[in-house]
Amino acid sequence: MHARPYSWPVPVETLPDRSVEAQDATVVADPWVTIVWNDPVNLMSYVTYVFESYFGFPRAKAERLMRQVHEQGRAVVSTGSLEAMEVDVQAMHEFGLWATLQRSGQ
Amino acid sequence: MRAFRRRRGLYVARLDDDERGVIAALVADVVELLGGGRIDEESADDPVSATRDGSPRLQLEPVPPPSDPAVRRLLPDASRDDPEVSAEFRRLTEDDIRAGKIARLSRLWTALTTPSEGQRADAFAIEPSDAKDVAAALTDVRLVLAERLDIRTDGEAERLYDLLLTSPTAELEEPVSDGLDPATRRYLVAVYGALSWLQESLVEALLTDLRASGGGHDTPPGRPPAGERPPSG
Repeated sequence: MHARPYSWPVPVETLPDRSVEAQDATVVADPWVTIVWNDPVNLMSYVTYVFESYFGFPRAKAERLMRQVHEQGRAVVSTGSLEAMEVDVQAMHEFGLWATLQRSGQ
Repeated sequence: MRAFRRRRGLYVARLDDDERGVIAALVADVVELLGGGRIDEESADDPVSATRDGSPRLQLEPVPPPSDPAVRRLLPDASRDDPEVSAEFRRLTEDDIRAGKIARLSRLWTALTTPSEGQRADAFAIEPSDAKDVAAALTDVRLVLAERLDIRTDGEAERLYDLLLTSPTAELEEPVSDGLDPATRRYLVAVYGALSWLQESLVEALLTDLRASGGGHDTPPGRPPAGERPPSG
């Protein structure tokens, strides 16, 4: 993922939302996770848009996960059953994001 | 070329005939890569109806991964370390994902090659309800271009943009490992930059409107709303 197409202003960063991170810790019991991986093509704005529009994440959480993908190379974006994660990975591939599923805790 | 802006309830960019022709040709190439045939040949069958008759399908045979790396980027493995999970995911979803991508690329191609009505000649106007599909189709075209240009890292993408900013007509001095001749590479780099800029403006407008409406939980591009899908698995 890259920050900007040429001639486009760099967006203003927002601070991570700590309360959202605390909520995430309560759902690790789900057996499978969907991971979105960094790629050099998808725009930061587009990844944020996908996270907000498909998952319904609030802006702060969507931007935090987008930055995690960009800076750490990957982020867990959803957790649940294998079937539910297949639905989410299919949706990410339809959007053109690079996503995989795996057992949680791996 | 001018970026997308919200105008009287539509998203409107400006693309002249040459720019439309360049983008439409690339869109047609990606449709063909995905197995949708040539949409820019008049004798061709309708690629959408040819690949998707609307009835739910149950794929029983394994679907091998695409051999072309660009197509494989559009239809990636669903697991990094479990071939069985990847194979099962392909069997269940690949036909639908492929057909959905072909359908929305074909709609973009039609929009690009159909003269605008009631607008200035270079106006390229998109209904807000279609904008998500257009943004996703532009992503697919950019993913294929990036694969052909051998863009593998964020740093390579950044260098490419810097080059376009500072010396748009200069020779590209990247190590050429992609087998493209310099003129072709320069052309594709310029198109990639323009498409990125165009997509960014559309996505910014989409994000602004999504946030103004109180947030998302949309269906993904090209997919009917939940409840209209046949059960999966």
